[in-house]
Amino acid sequence: MRRVRVLLAVVLVAAVAFATVPGRDAGAQGQTIKIGVLFDHSGPFAAAGSLNVWRGAKMMIDLTNEKGGVLGKYKIVQVDGDSQSKTEAAINEAERLLNVEKVDILAGVYSSAHAVPLAEKVDKQKKFLWITTAIADAVFKDRNLQYAFRPQTNSGLFGEASVQYVASHSSAKLKRAVKELRVAIIYEDGPYGAGVASSNESEAKKQGMQITLKEGYSAQAPDLSSLVTKLRAARPDVLFHTGYNPDIALFLRQAKEQGLRVKAYIGHGAGHSQLNKLKEAFGNDIEAFHTVDPPAAQLVDAKKLKTGLGALTNEMVKRYKTFEPAMARDAIAPHVSMGFNNMHVLLNDVLPRAIQKHGGFGPDALAKAARETDIPEGGTMQGYGVKFHPPGHAMAGQNMRAFAAVFQVQEGTFKHVFPEVIATGAPILPLPASSPWAAR
Amino acid sequence: MIDPIFLLEAAVNGIMLGGVLALLALGLNLIFGVLDVVWIAYVDLVMVSMYAVYFTVMVYGWPLWLGGLAGVALGVVLGLLVHVLIITPILDSPPVNQLLATGGLLFFIQSFATFLWTTDHRSVRIALPPLEIAGIFVSYARLISFVLSIAVMIGLYLFLTRTYIGTAMRAVSQDRGAMALMGANPQRVYLVTSAVGGAMAGVAAVLLSIQYSVHPYFGAAFGPITFMICVLGGLGNMVGAFVASFIMSEIIAIGGVVWSTEMGYVIAFALFIVMMFVRPGGIFARRQ
Repeated sequence: MRRVRVLLAVVLVAAVAFATVPGRDAGAQGQTIKIGVLFDHSGPFAAAGSLNVWRGAKMMIDLTNEKGGVLGKYKIVQVDGDSQSKTEAAINEAERLLNVEKVDILAGVYSSAHAVPLAEKVDKQKKFLWITTAIADAVFKDRNLQYAFRPQTNSGLFGEASVQYVASHSSAKLKRAVKELRVAIIYEDGPYGAGVASSNESEAKKQGMQITLKEGYSAQAPDLSSLVTKLRAARPDVLFHTGYNPDIALFLRQAKEQGLRVKAYIGHGAGHSQLNKLKEAFGNDIEAFHTVDPPAAQLVDAKKLKTGLGALTNEMVKRYKTFEPAMARDAIAPHVSMGFNNMHVLLNDVLPRAIQKHGGFGPDALAKAARETDIPEGGTMQGYGVKFHPPGHAMAGQNMRAFAAVFQVQEGTFKHVFPEVIATGAPILPLPASSPWAAR
Repeated sequence: MIDPIFLLEAAVNGIMLGGVLALLALGLNLIFGVLDVVWIAYVDLVMVSMYAVYFTVMVYGWPLWLGGLAGVALGVVLGLLVHVLIITPILDSPPVNQLLATGGLLFFIQSFATFLWTTDHRSVRIALPPLEIAGIFVSYARLISFVLSIAVMIGLYLFLTRTYIGTAMRAVSQDRGAMALMGANPQRVYLVTSAVGGAMAGVAAVLLSIQYSVHPYFGAAFGPITFMICVLGGLGNMVGAFVASFIMSEIIAIGGVVWSTEMGYVIAFALFIVMMFVRPGGIFARRQ
């Protein structure tokens, strides 16, 4: 009899608990929206950009809350998850955020190695995923995801942009016809590096360049000297490199010591975009290095953007000073913009429409609202527009209006050098003689 | 077909890498040989000493040799602390408990380092020019590390064979129980072993500091390969670990040039698996 009473009590408590959990699609929604913000706060990815995107996202959430919340009344509750730079940890944290913390939206994800398995898992649970950073095509390619969206650019565009940039300056600055240009492609062998490298390769072939070496390596490898030796044997004019950190620091160190010399060095995002970290390791030697990423908002000409976005960029830069007081405005990593701007699109475009037009902020309402997003070029702080490929498309959920920019380190800060429409500096090619990696 | 000069360069670089790997493996193997406990967190102690080198040299402006001494001194202190606080209470526990305890220490060190120093990568920047000999490029930092590693290993050999305490350490590694029965104090031997193992971690930290950035997860790059070398050479077998270091580093270096960087590691790890079937006690183990 006692056991029956205990059982009844448990059932009663469970029923009450269930009845008091607000239904997120119903009209009885609370005045808070819970957003799970998933980034790497520990492990090597943290310093390779993940922490900077988190900072950007947090600054935007704080700013929105200071203004009263989404639509002036729905406060955001930020629940952080730490992916620890490990795929299993990312998946576990996503599960915790979605099913224990019961967040309404899962946002963030720095690494493509995490995003590839996560996107499908979250989509199968019919939960809303907003990817601010991970770029691999494989996250969306041929998966027809219904609840995952990425305003961020994709790896295919990264690889194309860097090769097109080199091609556009090959004859005039590198003194080689494009078809005579010898290029090498090296990459960390996860989805991120492999995705960018694959698009480097296809674009280089399209341009008729000579690919002298294409090779992957593990980002955890303790030694890359054999890769440097092979590169010296391959004698490339231009080196395209996609990696995180500390692998890129290890590679550059060993390349410098083993006499690898090239005319141009083009990195692609992640560790290549963390200027202060590169400077700490290599000082001014990194002058004229390149990186590829979505444009950094503070480098975009505000006059070409929708009114008010310039002020928003200034706000981002001002708030970022609390994290890095000594950092020059133009040296701020583009990752900060990725977090700030892509969260801005979610909080100021998708969420208001979901609530006002589709009756709430449940996954279905959010997905419908995201599919209706139609921000023209110049409509975001980073310059690109936002419109997602529709269901059925090979890249369903990917922003079709995103683009990648080529940055160059000039006088210790970043300049946009490609595409020309957003250029803030003239490219320095080939590498100056003062560079220890410069071909002589 | 790759130019033979590049193959030669790869082989030379493999030897250089092997020197540093041997230093790491000998420190870990020395401790295992005497204490019969695997310090899974050994490379993480190296990481902490690397921070000591970084802060003393880059932040406080000490000369590298002095910062290096500080790194070695910290290694000794850490070795003693780990022994007294972690190893002593579990010395007679089942091996799985010992592994779990030192594994827990690994996560503690990584997390505590992240808490103290964040996830930033920090570098000891010293300007060393490339060294070119007959078309072969060798890293100065690696060459210095290799020479010093060999010197330290010779010093360790002399210490183990020519000193009373070194002989006692070897005796304990052969039969822990018999030493105690003969009136020797194994605790003292354990403490000295831990200090020497810590000092070797400190020396490795100094040599790695001039080649690598330090960050809280540094152990992830070198920890597994160091452990594999110890197993391949035979846990506790110093000569085996020394030879295994060079076998692994040469496979990685030459395999990387002949096939691909990834394939170099694949072959090295495949060899490790095969050897575990053929000679589970290590390359110099006698067949039972």
